[in-house]
Amino acid sequence: CTDLELLPQDKADPNAVLSEEENYESFLARIYAGLSVTGQQGPAGASDIASLDEGFSNYLRQYWQLQELPTESSVIAWGDAGLPELIYQSWTSDNQFIRAIYYRIFFQVSIANEFLRETTPERLDSRGIREGFRPTVEGFRAEARFLRALSYWHGIDMFGDVIFYTEEDGIGGSPPAQRSRAEVFAFIESELSAIENQLPAIGAAEYGRADRGALYMLQAKLYQNAEVYTGQERNGEAVAALEKIIDSGAYSLEEEYADLFKADNHTSNELIWTITFDGDNTQGFGGLTYLTHAPVGGSMNPEDYGINGGWFGLRTTKALVNKFPDVTGEADERAIFYTDGQSLEIDNISEFTQGYAVPKYTNVTSDGVVGSDPRFADTDFPMFRLGDAYLMYAESVLRGGGGSRDRALELVNALRERAYNGTAGNITDADLTLDFILDERARELYWEAHRRTDLIRFDSFSTNGVWPWKGGIPEGRTTSAIYNLYPIPSSEILSNPNLRQTEGY
Amino acid sequence: QTTVAGTITDQESGEPLIGASILAVGTSTGTITDFDGVYSLEVPEGVTQLQFSYTGYPTVIENINGRTTIDLAIQPGQLLDEVVVVGYGAVKKSDLTGSVNTIDNESFNQGAIVSPTNLIAGKVAGVNISSGSGNPGEGPTVRIRGGTSINASNDPLYVIDGVPLANDGVAGGRSPLNFLNPDDIASMTVLKDASAAAIYGSRGANGVILITTKKGSSGAPSISYRAEGTVSSVINRQQNLDAEAFRNVVTFAAPERLGILGNTSTNWFDELTQTGYGTQQNLSISGGGETNTYRVSAGYQQLEGVLRGAETERISLNLNFTQKLFSDKLIVGASIKGANENNVFDPGVINAALDFDPTQPIYDADNTAYAGFFEYGNSLAPRNPVSATEQISNTGKTYRGIGNLDLEYKFDDLIPGLSYKAVLGFDVNSGESNRFVPTTFATLATNGFVGEFNINNALRTSKLFDTYLTYAKEFGNQTASLQVGYSYQDFNFEGPSIQGQNLTTDAFGTANPGVAEDIFAYNSVVENRLISFFGRLNYNIDERYLFTASLRRDGSSRFGPSNRWGLFPSAALAWRILQEDFAAGLNNTFSELKLRVGYGVTGNQDFGDYLYLPVYQYSDQRTQYQFGDRFVSTIRPNAYDESLKWEETSSINVGLDFGFFNNRLSGIVEYYQKTTDDLIFTVNVPAGTNLSDRVTTNIGALENQGVELTLNGVIVDQAKFGLDVTGNVSFQQTEITRLSGSGSADIQTGGIAGGVGNTVQLLRVGATPYSFYLYQQKYGADGRPLRDGVDYNEDGVANNLDIYEDLNGDGVLNDQDLTINEAPMPDVLLGFTANARYGKLNLGFTLRGNLGNYVYNNAASNGGNLSRIDLGANYVSNVHASAVYTRFDRPQYFSDYYLESGSFLRLDNLTASYDFGQLANNALNLRVYATAQNLFILTNYSGNDPEGNGIDNSPFPRARIYTLGARIGL
Repeated sequence: CTDLELLPQDKADPNAVLSEEENYESFLARIYAGLSVTGQQGPAGASDIASLDEGFSNYLRQYWQLQELPTESSVIAWGDAGLPELIYQSWTSDNQFIRAIYYRIFFQVSIANEFLRETTPERLDSRGIREGFRPTVEGFRAEARFLRALSYWHGIDMFGDVIFYTEEDGIGGSPPAQRSRAEVFAFIESELSAIENQLPAIGAAEYGRADRGALYMLQAKLYQNAEVYTGQERNGEAVAALEKIIDSGAYSLEEEYADLFKADNHTSNELIWTITFDGDNTQGFGGLTYLTHAPVGGSMNPEDYGINGGWFGLRTTKALVNKFPDVTGEADERAIFYTDGQSLEIDNISEFTQGYAVPKYTNVTSDGVVGSDPRFADTDFPMFRLGDAYLMYAESVLRGGGGSRDRALELVNALRERAYNGTAGNITDADLTLDFILDERARELYWEAHRRTDLIRFDSFSTNGVWPWKGGIPEGRTTSAIYNLYPIPSSEILSNPNLRQTEGY
Repeated sequence: QTTVAGTITDQESGEPLIGASILAVGTSTGTITDFDGVYSLEVPEGVTQLQFSYTGYPTVIENINGRTTIDLAIQPGQLLDEVVVVGYGAVKKSDLTGSVNTIDNESFNQGAIVSPTNLIAGKVAGVNISSGSGNPGEGPTVRIRGGTSINASNDPLYVIDGVPLANDGVAGGRSPLNFLNPDDIASMTVLKDASAAAIYGSRGANGVILITTKKGSSGAPSISYRAEGTVSSVINRQQNLDAEAFRNVVTFAAPERLGILGNTSTNWFDELTQTGYGTQQNLSISGGGETNTYRVSAGYQQLEGVLRGAETERISLNLNFTQKLFSDKLIVGASIKGANENNVFDPGVINAALDFDPTQPIYDADNTAYAGFFEYGNSLAPRNPVSATEQISNTGKTYRGIGNLDLEYKFDDLIPGLSYKAVLGFDVNSGESNRFVPTTFATLATNGFVGEFNINNALRTSKLFDTYLTYAKEFGNQTASLQVGYSYQDFNFEGPSIQGQNLTTDAFGTANPGVAEDIFAYNSVVENRLISFFGRLNYNIDERYLFTASLRRDGSSRFGPSNRWGLFPSAALAWRILQEDFAAGLNNTFSELKLRVGYGVTGNQDFGDYLYLPVYQYSDQRTQYQFGDRFVSTIRPNAYDESLKWEETSSINVGLDFGFFNNRLSGIVEYYQKTTDDLIFTVNVPAGTNLSDRVTTNIGALENQGVELTLNGVIVDQAKFGLDVTGNVSFQQTEITRLSGSGSADIQTGGIAGGVGNTVQLLRVGATPYSFYLYQQKYGADGRPLRDGVDYNEDGVANNLDIYEDLNGDGVLNDQDLTINEAPMPDVLLGFTANARYGKLNLGFTLRGNLGNYVYNNAASNGGNLSRIDLGANYVSNVHASAVYTRFDRPQYFSDYYLESGSFLRLDNLTASYDFGQLANNALNLRVYATAQNLFILTNYSGNDPEGNGIDNSPFPRARIYTLGARIGL
């Protein structure tokens, strides 16, 4: 006997998996889930990537940390190697968190590519997929391309020039080449227009999935930051994309600001697209588990936030707190700070009680009911929401993208009326400046993983702008412009000879 | 068929040797001498040699040469020809061409030994056997010549009575070899070099340990019974503070935290440790008739650990039977070994014992939610370790059976010298572990659910079919033997498990999963197969030049079609110099002088299955994704490398065997060099080239060389008094010579306790694998490490620049300033055994040592900082005593201050025995003995124990074990 052909039994051969129609949806769901979970076992196990602790390396957790920790909006107490350097803007190419998001981003690109390779008409033929199911697969392919474009956007936003590869490049081939930020920008742009009509209409997708609403938001994000990415401003196109969203009438502002971040926020009509989490079915130590646990400590009672215990980690600096008229939230209800036993000043970032705590995300519903499992939040992450679209619209108008200044003012005041429970906080046309927008974005969108990108667009991230602990000192100082980009992880520079390290690292 | 008879006597005294055994070589036919030293044996046809053996005397092999009377006077302690198993057969020791060491049961270590490999710890040069931990029955780590791999296994291949084992254990067990009762082992043979191990092809790279169990011999039943009792005591080298010292530290460093402290004094370590008692009993009966022999044995062993609750129990049965048929042309051998092992595991409390505040009480009667134990109501706080020990149940049981049926047929009628052998074998290893945590245990309550159980089942089976033809021929002064064979072995594993959370009652333990609100079920099923063709040629010219060549072709299901088959050749040459005419003059001085040179290629395929295939993995029910109102299960394509192949080690071995003064002094000196290519690493691959950031693939090479010296000396050898000593020393060096396809990528590894994702070791070209990679600590004038939080360099900030050397002088302290350091692998291994006898009294000991091995004291680096008492939460953690000296405020995980020399010398074993000899009119014989294990260790290492993987963070207390036993023979 010389038979050595053994097929796995608890995992499946691709041909077997993809000859069943229902598995195509499961495969697609995995690309979405790549933003939310970390492996194939919950809360951790069979990890997608291996070079960092699984829960730590979660896509959203690291995307969030890299967008928020180097800004005025947050500090974290823990001393894990590389973590304080994110707060200080003094990271190196060996930083494990930068490595994690890098590999998570390209894991998403890789499995989206794999999905596209395995769903070509030839492959569907060879697996006997019936004609009637093919349009469904076409729709799935558009969603896969949307998710790939999203991750490529995160890639150029954080790393600048990145590796580029598509479904044409198979597994086990030579390392991909690096493309300029502008080239990848152009690819994302063309992908988004190519799939526009294949995605469901605005607001028409089932919850959790991308439709044209999500697509227009991603277009608007790209165009709004186009000057940073390509040197060429595209504010007019940003306005056009945002108008499609606002004019559609598919979305409306949530009545209570805080309800946007609670365990039942999937019912909110303001959310355009979310990353979903669930205490029973979508578990992990990243994402909303992190965002509901890490900011709790000191004298805070974990039960008030629907969680089993605080992680004594995240707080904010006075630079964010001072943008609000008062800390209690009485005037502007968006000021969700916990101050009892917490000091405003931070002498020691590793002391949880220094700096106000921010229980913005909770695992309690708007009715006060605790989520399904206090260990893992039910709350979804608002990747794109209407409030952001309003402020983006106003900013693009101010940057000369056309549109209507009156409408911009009206939209900004809509957000302020919600925040102030009335017109007390409304601004006038004279108040509507770019500086105001930057601050208003801090007030409206803090801890929603936009801040680093915003500050860089306003040139206030590194060489300008000072807040506590920026530069590694309590009072803060400016840093070098090299920190506007994250370095390519050193492990990647070593293993891919095609890569050139980002200037300055 | 002829009958050979004779008398066997002691050469010096002329006294008859009673009960000496005589074996027809190549068969299982044998007998023993009577009270007058007389034997008579019907010698099967085709047998040309008889083997004579007797305890305390060398084994002698005599050529029959047509004689019917063979009288023998044997000199005690004289070392003559022994037969050594070499895999698919046996050869005379004098005919060996490779590096092969045999330790028989006379030389085994004594004492409370659960795991068989502990029997030969310290006995063989180049073989490092380090005890795992203080857990009763924990298997040791065995490394032959330093290991050849980095990611794949470095464990040797174990072959028991011809059946190669899978090294993996199953749930519920401690060490997979524990099923074998050490009392049933006749000898263990280590194949160290590739020329010897290459016959095991793709599994031989880390050496092979052949275990031969005891067989019966013809004659009246002989009964042997052994009983022993053991006492284990804890060796406490822990360095956490007691209540008073801890209170002082808090008063000094964080007086505002004094209010959180309790007002009692609890030594958590003492509360969790105990004196462990154990017992072992073995009964064996062996004998045989004209054409058959048998041996049956039963063993029972029970051993408590020094940690409260930890316990192991084993019941073993062993049956060996040989039957000769068709005028002895067909020999049928059957063997069944079975064992049931029951384990109670401690729930993992030692770290909690070191962390828990020593000023807090064990009990708090008001705390009814937590069963009356004191606990902090905080999910991050350490848990009361006494509560864990008393409430959590963690048990396992395994059943393992190995059986083999051997058929050997001699075609002497047809073609003299031709024989055929077939081995059919099975190995069934089944285990179950049960862990139950009641609803009253605090970790669960503060983590949002109450009560938990885990039930893990595992079934590992393997089937073996080996068959080979042997043809031997003599022509003139030359003999040649040729062997060709085929081998098939199939391994299956299935491991379903159930986890339940949120229990409605504690009443059922793990017996009724229905009481869990949340149930999760898992399974894992894998299979792999090995198919081989092999051949070996032995050629002997005039007992002067010995030549062995072997070739094995292996196929493994773990690789894709293009890499599935590999070829593993070997060749070795030995020259017995004393047989040369020109060496005649040396015969007075030398009794043995043999030069051996060998070369061979071996492989290693001991890692995961199906890694070459694209596979899709389904999610469990906790990693679904929400689409609308539905939660959709997901499937993920896994990373793979379709060109994966095994690691290949080619090695050269040069050895000299020598003996002086009638072998009163003998020894072996050897040099080896091994190059392992296609090292299997799980490495970073460029993003975009695969479906994960790391892929298991072949990248890199490793070089490994060493010198080994073994010396045996019979210092005194008189009738009344004797003393012999054996010492071995080996020098070894391992270096990574290539990593990754694209240059010299370092790979950081060596995760530690403390923080997340912190590593302290490195794989780098030119360095020893797993070298430590740390900052250089700066020291003050008082010799203490500079403490953190002080701006020594007066640059305005207190940071790492103040306390670590900025090696590249760029004014920034970052990863560029980490330096490569020593490694955990020892440079020198030492073993020393001495045995003295005076009349009927015997005294022996085994010393074992390592030099040049380094240890990262993770217990100190993680616990030795004052921030543990200032966590900003409502609890404090005890600190490691080093914090009082270093005054570190924050953990300094990457300081080389924590890197220490782990060189040690350990007295593994001290045994005294008294042999009463024949008692009660020769009706029985009796031997009593006492053994002490782990009596002392000499080391400068400040932590718990310098032995381990180099990162000392699992401070399970080691035990000192005393054993008292007696053996009665009937």
